[in-house]
Amino acid sequence: MLILCLLAVATGSVPNPPNPAFQEFETRLKDYVALHRKLEEALPKLPDKATPEEIDRNQRQLGKRIAASRSDSRPGEFFTPAIQDLVRASLKDVLNDMGKKNLMGSIMDENPGPMKLVINTRYPDEVPLSTMPPPILAALPPLEEDLEYRFIGRRLVLLDVHAHLIVDYTDEVLP
Amino acid sequence: MPRFTLAVVLACSLACGCPMLGGPLPTKGPASVIEAPVALPNENGSLKFAVLGDFGTGFRPEYELAQRMLEVHKQFPFEIVLLVGDNLYGAERPQDFKRKFETPFKPLLDEGVKFYGALGNHDAREQRFYEFFNMGGKLYFSFHAPHEPVRFFVLDSTYPVPEQIEWLKKELEDSKEDWKIAYFHHPPYSSGGRHGSDVKLRQTLEPLFVKNNVSVVFTGHDHFYERIKPQQGIVYFVVGSGGMLAPGDITPNSPITDKGFDRDRAFLMAEIKDDKMTFQAISRTGEVVDSGIILRRKQNP
Repeated sequence: MLILCLLAVATGSVPNPPNPAFQEFETRLKDYVALHRKLEEALPKLPDKATPEEIDRNQRQLGKRIAASRSDSRPGEFFTPAIQDLVRASLKDVLNDMGKKNLMGSIMDENPGPMKLVINTRYPDEVPLSTMPPPILAALPPLEEDLEYRFIGRRLVLLDVHAHLIVDYTDEVLP
Repeated sequence: MPRFTLAVVLACSLACGCPMLGGPLPTKGPASVIEAPVALPNENGSLKFAVLGDFGTGFRPEYELAQRMLEVHKQFPFEIVLLVGDNLYGAERPQDFKRKFETPFKPLLDEGVKFYGALGNHDAREQRFYEFFNMGGKLYFSFHAPHEPVRFFVLDSTYPVPEQIEWLKKELEDSKEDWKIAYFHHPPYSSGGRHGSDVKLRQTLEPLFVKNNVSVVFTGHDHFYERIKPQQGIVYFVVGSGGMLAPGDITPNSPITDKGFDRDRAFLMAEIKDDKMTFQAISRTGEVVDSGIILRRKQNP
């Protein structure tokens, strides 16, 4: 162990101690994804060549089942105050480092601006999916393929991709 | 350009053989480009395809571009269309799939043309299941062309996660085709003022492309047409000019631009026969805004 620690110091790769807030975030995500997959498996599998109607029907069925199973969900369940602070700090750093003007330009491309959102409901059908520039995604905690981040205005939304469902959101994460 | 002019351009272009400029064709080494004006040879048995990106607006210019593609198809019967992402802008309800894709491209779909999607930053991941994007439920995949020894590698450039990069590495290494062509949304090279080159993606992908003999890369994201000067022996295109448009967004005098067009919507037509890929970029009005011949890269001994 000592050798490994020394080696890590020598190569400059000393890992930061795990942040409890991130650990909690990851645990909650893991639980969510487990539920998502269990409910999804109970649905008829979407064919590889589906019609738009089949895709839509599948999304809505899964969304209903998840919403029913998580009826006690509340805002901030994933984006806890500690995670919100970390996300804001991380995004501020990446915007400063990578060029705020360009990144904000990309984020605001097709971004609908502020609007009322309700967790555990369908992502508004009329609302475009905003751009998530790769440096921004790299600065956020990684997600399983079932979930993704999107911005609506300056809000960061945690979106269930397959169910098109708003899992959580946090306000004013962008400067 | 009116229809008559397009017909003349295509007729001349298709009939006069292949007037190559720029001297004898090199036969070894990196992919090289012989610049235009060149014709599409329209040979029997060749692979004929189109490239389209950032198109799914549902607005009139997209419909006009689709109509132009149909007119070209009558003379140059391309079989497949590579979609480099942002296939649907805004809402993605069933009616949006129709208005933004199925209706404008119905005549081509009826002709049996197959579209192969890659996902852009505005696309929902569920598009991978959509029947007419032929993604087989996958975010990244490869497929063999219907003619000629050509394999296309389709990537999800929004999420270049390690699993995908590992898959790509193995897929490229296992591919026995002469032509390896990659396409995805974010451009490793672009002179766009709005987005520009995705340098991190380039650092990830380019070594794999160079090592494994990829000859051509098609991308979108920036809303114009650009052909990049060959980079490490690979020819990169930005074809994000299918529906959205960013007029004047190509950085003037960009050192990486071989040819740029940002005044109107445009798509790319290409034909592969043996070691040669002939291409033409065609605008919504039928103007051929770029053309040339690319000779494929060959593995160094």
